[in-house]
Amino acid sequence: MTSREQTVLDDVTRIGGVRSALLVSADDGLVVAESSVEGQHTEAAAAFAARLAQRLTVLTRTLQTPPMSMLLLQASGGQLFITQGGEGLLFVAITSNDVNIGEVRLALLDAAGRIA
Amino acid sequence: MPLVNLTAREITCKLVYYGPGRCGKTTNLQYIHGRVPENRRGRMVSLATQSDRTLFFDFLPIELGVISGFTTRFQLYTVPGQVYYNATRRLVLQGADGVVFVADSQARRFDENVESFKNLQDNLLEQGVDVRQIPLVLQYNKQDLPPDLILSPAELDDTFNFRSVPSLPADALHGTGVFETLKALSTVVLQRLAARPPSL
Amino acid sequence: MRTIEPWVERPLTTFVAEAQVRVALLMTSSGQVVAQHGFTRSLDVMTAAALGAGIVASTREIAREMSAGTFGAVVHQGPRLGVYLMPFEMPGGTWIGLAVFGPDTSLGIVQLFFGKLVDDLVREAPREAPTRQVLPETFEDDLNQSLRALFGR
Repeated sequence: MTSREQTVLDDVTRIGGVRSALLVSADDGLVVAESSVEGQHTEAAAAFAARLAQRLTVLTRTLQTPPMSMLLLQASGGQLFITQGGEGLLFVAITSNDVNIGEVRLALLDAAGRIA
Repeated sequence: MPLVNLTAREITCKLVYYGPGRCGKTTNLQYIHGRVPENRRGRMVSLATQSDRTLFFDFLPIELGVISGFTTRFQLYTVPGQVYYNATRRLVLQGADGVVFVADSQARRFDENVESFKNLQDNLLEQGVDVRQIPLVLQYNKQDLPPDLILSPAELDDTFNFRSVPSLPADALHGTGVFETLKALSTVVLQRLAARPPSL
Repeated sequence: MRTIEPWVERPLTTFVAEAQVRVALLMTSSGQVVAQHGFTRSLDVMTAAALGAGIVASTREIAREMSAGTFGAVVHQGPRLGVYLMPFEMPGGTWIGLAVFGPDTSLGIVQLFFGKLVDDLVREAPREAPTRQVLPETFEDDLNQSLRALFGR
């Protein structure tokens, strides 16, 4: 990982409520780079995020709809944001439920643009 | 330790052919592979160099059939004989239930046999196994060569058979003594198993 | 699904379903098969176990030579299939897991659920020693008969 990528990830985790920002390999679901508050287990989220993105890609292709730009998964314990993060990569953020969704969304799109 | 499945009534034993380079270990397995019916054996796997010298191991699984209600399978391995492959030999030897030491009967290969036999003892000892405890069978291969080139089984016994284990003359290339060797080791390994508790 | 011990079956079945792997194999560090899913011939399973154990043993030796502690998983990713190979500690010694997976899952998922499989196996492993087993008195006759049938002499 380069210092540029680390800086981009760190910028996302500075937003209130963001627990982790990850760069994930889209094919195998492994964490390529991350910035997390202490004690976060990010492997599971990375694996599921990649799997989810793969399934959605297949679905959008089948339905002949435009590809996914941002995926937001809301659960009782927190939220998962997924967007494309460059060639073969996904940008993933794990947040609490009280986060400002718009702010995180803009930050992720901006971060993805800086990395791509 | 042989793997015993009491539920499915299966026994699996790992048998290792040990000996110096070019003594005929792979030839033993090739002969067995060629003679055991296809439905009783798996594919023979040979991890060899381009010049067909064993690099890692040869592997041949065979199914012996049902013995006292237990489906019995053997996993036959060879080790690479060349001196510099000792790390690999140690790995293959790990967990062995029985060993065939294949000696090359040629008089000029005597020192290599001794070195390999000592190496077997050392490698077993490193795994906490005393060579006097593990089921062992000696095979004196290449007994088909002219008598003036080879040592007799009695002469080889004098050097290697201090435990009075089964020792058999063989000509692995043509199959003489190959099954007899395997049968001798199978008997010792399975008899030993009958007298011991199973373990995973 | 074939298992050597009944308690292995449930965790392995769960792993196969959750990780969506094509083939799963559990073996001891010396290459003895403990349980498997996806193979059709027992003799092929033994070959896979021997090769898998050989790979793990080799990487362990490389780590030892390099004074690198221990390596974790070994992964071979091909164009169509991937192989995941991972040693882990059980109460009775080291076991190795081997999983073959296709494009319908991912390495991350396999890795994730493999961790869960190991936790399940360690939790469910029986603590008491196996009961002593005595083979019947006909053992030697049966053995000789089998050897004669197989070797034809």
